Order: sequence, then structure tokens, then C-alpha cells
Amino acid sequence: MKKIILPLLLISIPAILSAATGATQLEGSFKVGPSIILITILCLFVLVGIVFRAKDTTDFYAAGRSISRVGSGMAIASNWMSAASFLGMAALMYGAGYHGLAYVVGWTGGYVLLLILMAGQIRRYGKYTAADFIGDRYYSQSLRAIGAIIAILISISYCVGQFGGIGLMFKWVMGVSYGWSVVIGGTVVLAYTLISGMLGVTKNMQIQYVIIIISFIIPLFILTFKFDYFWLLPQIGYGAVVSDVVSGIPLAETRQLVNSFGHAYAMVPAPEYAMPFDPATGQTFYQWIAISFSLMVGTAGLPHVIQRFYVVPRASDARWSVVWGLFFICVLYWSAPAYAAFGKVLSASPEIGRLAKDAIVVYTAQLGNVHPLIVGLLAAGGVSAAFSTVSGLLVAGASAFAHDLYVKTINPDAPPKKQLMFARMGTILMAAIVTAIALAKLALIGQLVAVAFSLAGCTIFPLFLLGIWWSGSNKQGAVAGLIAGGLVSLVALTYFIAGKMGAVLPGHDFISYWLGAWYFGIIGAPLAILVHIIVARMTPETPLEIRKFLIEKVHSQ
Amino acid sequence: MESNPNDYHISFFKPATEMARLNRNIVISLVIIWTVAIFGFQITLKIISKPTPEPAYLAFEQVWDQVSSGNASDKDLQVFAQASLSVLGKNFIDPGHRVALDNGLSWSLHQLAGPDQGASIRQDIAAFEKLKGEIENITDPEYVNARNELASAVSPVLGLSPGDVRTTLVSIELNSSMMDALSPESREAIPAAMSLYLIHPQSILTDGRLFGFPFHYFYTAVFLLVLFVGLCWLYCVRADRRDAILGIDQ
Repeated sequence: MKKIILPLLLISIPAILSAATGATQLEGSFKVGPSIILITILCLFVLVGIVFRAKDTTDFYAAGRSISRVGSGMAIASNWMSAASFLGMAALMYGAGYHGLAYVVGWTGGYVLLLILMAGQIRRYGKYTAADFIGDRYYSQSLRAIGAIIAILISISYCVGQFGGIGLMFKWVMGVSYGWSVVIGGTVVLAYTLISGMLGVTKNMQIQYVIIIISFIIPLFILTFKFDYFWLLPQIGYGAVVSDVVSGIPLAETRQLVNSFGHAYAMVPAPEYAMPFDPATGQTFYQWIAISFSLMVGTAGLPHVIQRFYVVPRASDARWSVVWGLFFICVLYWSAPAYAAFGKVLSASPEIGRLAKDAIVVYTAQLGNVHPLIVGLLAAGGVSAAFSTVSGLLVAGASAFAHDLYVKTINPDAPPKKQLMFARMGTILMAAIVTAIALAKLALIGQLVAVAFSLAGCTIFPLFLLGIWWSGSNKQGAVAGLIAGGLVSLVALTYFIAGKMGAVLPGHDFISYWLGAWYFGIIGAPLAILVHIIVARMTPETPLEIRKFLIEKVHSQ
Repeated sequence: MESNPNDYHISFFKPATEMARLNRNIVISLVIIWTVAIFGFQITLKIISKPTPEPAYLAFEQVWDQVSSGNASDKDLQVFAQASLSVLGKNFIDPGHRVALDNGLSWSLHQLAGPDQGASIRQDIAAFEKLKGEIENITDPEYVNARNELASAVSPVLGLSPGDVRTTLVSIELNSSMMDALSPESREAIPAAMSLYLIHPQSILTDGRLFGFPFHYFYTAVFLLVLFVGLCWLYCVRADRRDAILGIDQ
């Protein structure tokens, strides 16, 4: 099978080159070149999955054992980097400048918390899913079921943003409406997940990482070179672009540089782009802090992220794979602001109009006259980022549905065939729900994904943090903390959805500001922890065997 | 250890094992660095920043009273129109603010041009608007020519030199139906728009430059991420050392 991949790629290259047309318009018609690139990459993923497929469940779970820490780090990075990282972050910075950096800091700083507070301990605890941990640590089947439901809700929330990204990229490639793009893209990603969901996951993730990062960085080298900045390291070179945006670029200094519409590479000063907490962006200091905090605690509470540490052989490997994983993630996060800065200058003319912020990465490359095939590769990279994450999330959600909910709590004697059927049903059901929500286009991709982080920060993070670090944390405390965190989440999301539907609930402005849908974790997480501690102190002690396990297995080995 | 129910208690602040104690010490030191580096810096930024106006705002402030009271000289009107363009050139402005500023710009031009030239310019703008509604692509040569010709005609009236980047905006922002008067709504909205978009929180941390970046931007977008990777690396090194001290074989 390995012999098939290379010839297939070689055959497809001339076809791609000959079909390199149609990518010069920002939107519009069907783009043949980018379509072929996209299909080729997706086929490559499926083929790699078949070649390196897991032979059995043990092989699947132990996939990390045969690869190095660097390889494991790549898998973590690929699992992490979604449409929110690839498309969403640049969009947030393009629209709100320095405020967008709260997402960059939140989505990377959270890994420090995750590593130093949890990674090794989670590995030592030895459970395979977040719901397993919750059910075992809090000695409750009901809490296991609730943990599974929360994991599914988080997966759905996370996937909504991804489907939005897939829809935008399919819209760009195929030239059809956003609604159709979401439906088509959603169907393709569902088929992809059902075909490749259990195939050679770790190896595929490494390849996905390489494709995602190459497709993201190549246009940056071209842009920095073309517009005469320090191109050898675009992640530093774009600093001068930020300063140019702040001070403005006079016509006299453009040296005949133009965007793809012939507009001079010039703009009036726009200090609001880089200045912190600038009122012109409509964002405040509180929101910056709240977003970064919520994303950080959410990172340390996301089931599909935590789950990565169960499948490495040693606690030390779990730790080092985080270091490499974070480094690989940062390569993309150091680069994303560059797209926003170039996008700011290249779309400075009001003639270009309001661009869809979530597609600014692709538009920037187009506006910078990057070759259409490279732009196509960039769009394919965005779809790959979304696909890799959605695939993992749908599998995680489906296993929570089939394994944690159905088998562990409803029908423990279910035969494997029935379990598989439930897993597939769960995948299809989740994809349908996600598609329906994504069609509503509630917010930017990055913001939609941030909802999942706040939800995880309010619910799962306190359970893991206290469950690992405090033997006094008991079932009653966990239930009370979950209710508190859940209530905060419910209030924040109710106000958000009501606002989107045009309804005005009592105290709308107050709640919408302090409990914003993408940063309610700043209130919810500390409150859940506090309630958990208070109730745990007032109720019976944690059973001895669990306390003993914590000391002897989690904090002693 | 004995199976006494009073034993087997552990918490972050009262670590019952040597491993937990060593771990806690590492965690506390790293969390302090992490917290100060992230939140300490942002709080400092917030505290020391001061509202700093762009030159365009200072110019606007000097002429606005005369402009709004109808006593503006030609020079005042030119300064006002140029300040309006400084805001209109920004990517994201509120649609209501855009309407008010377009009104201010178009009205100023009409005032500056006088009755005869004003009527002629109004016709040119109307013709350009019609063409703008008909084209399919903004790279259409006829459209580009019309845009550039209009800009060349009105820029001198507004006091814009040929090298001024605002000359590239003027054709697109002028509106033939807004030239007769500065509406009361626009009069009210313009000062608020000017202060919103032309005054920025700045400080020594935002004015300094490092590797081409504004310093604070470099710190947050680049350095903090390096620090996070560094903190994780440091933790792993210290955790490995801790395991070696405790003789933990994994």
C-alpha cells in the first residue's frame, strides 16, 4: 500500500499545475487547482491511515509508544491546531488587534498549567477517558455519565467553530453559498471520520502537522519577501509590518508595491491595531484578561487534550511530549499574527469592503498576489486543520456516547457490534447537530471554539484539579461544583443565544459583558472550585481506598 | 503506611509525600513566574498607558468649533476634511460614524469648492457613483480611471498633496447626496467618532521598538510564547531531576 502513495502524488502534480486557475478572485467561482490540492491531501490522509492503521485496540491506545517524544509532540500539536488556530486567530487580530493576542496567550499559556498541574498525575492515575477518571475518582456512575455528557457537549461546541471554518474554505474553493458549503463540508468530514476515524491516528497526526505548518508558513515567506520585510524569519519580520500599521505607510514609501487589486501598499496610521485595550476596538482590559484566563483553564480541562496523556508509556514521556507539542503549536501561533498585520495593510482600501474575517488568512495571501496554487494549499491546510480536529472530536464524542454512556452506565453486556453501531450513530448524530448550529453562523470561529474552553474550564477543570491535588475532594463537592459551573455556563449561553435571537433578558448588558459567551470561565471556574471545596468540607470524607490510591499511586511513584 | 482512616490525606498545600512536596515547590515557583509574566505585564500596560491623540485629532480639535458653528475658514475646512479622511481610512469603523464622516467630508468639499465648481464636482461624483454601481470588478479600467481623475480633481481643493495616502480614499468616500449640509446627527456624531478612533492608550512600553515590533506587542505575541515553552522545558528538567532523587523508575 505504501507504494501506492508516491505514484499517486506524482500523477496528481501535473494535474494540479495545469489546473491552477481561478484563485485570483477573493470569492466567486469554482477553483479547480485548490480543489485538486484539497482532495489530494484528504486522500493522502486516508491512505496514510490505511497504511499505518491500528491492528487492534491495544495498538490504537499504545500508538504513542512506538514514536519519539518529538513525534508525540507533533501529534499533540496536530490534535490541537484546528480551524480556530489556522483561521480564527488571525481573524480575531485582524478585527480587534491586540485584543486578539489574548487568544494566542490563552491557547498557549494553558499548556503550562496543564503540564505542571496535571499531565504526569493524569498519566499515573491511569484512566483512559475524562469520564472514566471522573467516575472513578468521585466513585459515582452518575458523575461518569455527566462527565460523558459534558465531554459530548464540549465536543459539539468545539466542532461548531470547525464546521464554520470548513464551510468558509469550501465556500472559497467551490464558490457556493455558506449554507451549502457547511452541508457539503460537514458531509465530507463525516465520511472522512467514519472511514479514517480509527486508522493510524498518531502517524496521521504527524503528517497532518507537517502539511498544516508548511501550508501556513510558505505564504508568509512569500509575503515578507515580496513586500520587502525580513523574510528569513517571517515570525520576526512581520514586526515591522505592525509598526507600519501603527505609523501608517505614506504613498511615497510604497515603491510601486501594490495588492492584487492594484491598490498601493499604503495606509493611514492605525495605532488602534496594536495598542492595548484600545476603545476603538470595542474591547476592554477585563475582556482581555477574562479571555486569556478562560482559555488557559479550558485548555487544562478539555477531554480530548487530557486524553493524549493516557496513551504514552511513561509520565516522563507525557511531560516531554507537552514541551515538544507546545513548541510545534507555537510555530503556528508565532506566525498567525503576521497574516493579520499584512491583511490590515493589503485590505486598507475601503474599496475592498468588509472581508469575512475568518477567511482573512486566505484573502491576505490573495491580496498579496501569492500564486493561486500556494493560496489553494493554504486553504487546504485550513481544511486539514479543521478535519484533523473534527475527526478526533467526533471520535472522542462518539466513544463517550457509546463507551461511557451506553456501555458503562446503560448496557454493560452490550456486544462489540452493538457498541460499534452506537459509536457510528453517535458520530452521525453529533455531525448533524453541529451542522445545524454552524449554519446559524453565531460568531467568529475563534469565539465559538472559546465557548468550549469556558465550558471545560467551568466543569471538567475543577474536577481534575481538585481530584488530583486534594484528597478531601469528594462526590458531594464534585456535584455541587458541577452545578455551580454548569449554572454559570447556562446563564452565559442563554444570554448569548437570546441576544443572537434578538431577545433582551433582564440585565442583558451586564450579564453579556461580565459573563461573555467566550470568557465566562473567568467567573465559572473559580466559583465551581470554591463551591466544590466548601461542600466537600461539609460532607463525608472521600473513601479511604481513593485517598490511598492518590497518595500511593499518583503522588508517590 | 498503616490503614488508619486519618492517614492518606493529601493536598497541594499539605503534601503528604516527598514527591508531592517537591512537585509543589516546582509548581509554585513556575506559577509565580507565569502569572507575573502574563497578567503582571498586562496590568502594568493598563496602569501606565495614557490617552494619546494622533496628530489628526489635535488638528481636528483646533478647527471643530469653527466648523460646527459655520464660521470656518477654507483652511479650517481643509483641516477638518483631512482629519475625517484619517478616520475613514481605518479598516473598521462603525457604519453610523462612517455616514457622519462622509457627510462632513462631502459637505466640506462643497463649501471649499464654491457654487460653480461645487456643482461641477457634484456631477462628477454622481457620475462616479453611477459607474461604481455598474461595474463587476474594481479593477475595471474605466472605473479605475474615473476614480483617479476624481481624486486628482478634488484633492487640491481639500489641500491634499499628491503623495498623501488620503488621496486614495477621497473618491470612494465622497457622497453626492451629502454635500448640501452637515446634518445635526453628523454634527453630534463626528466629535465622538474622532475621539474614539484617533485617541489611543499609549505608554513607554508601546512606543519602544524591538526587532521592528512595538515592544509590548513583541512581548505578548512572541516573548510570552517563548517563555511558555521555556517554563515547560524547565519543569520537565526539574521533574526528571526530582524523579532521579526519589529513585522513581518509570
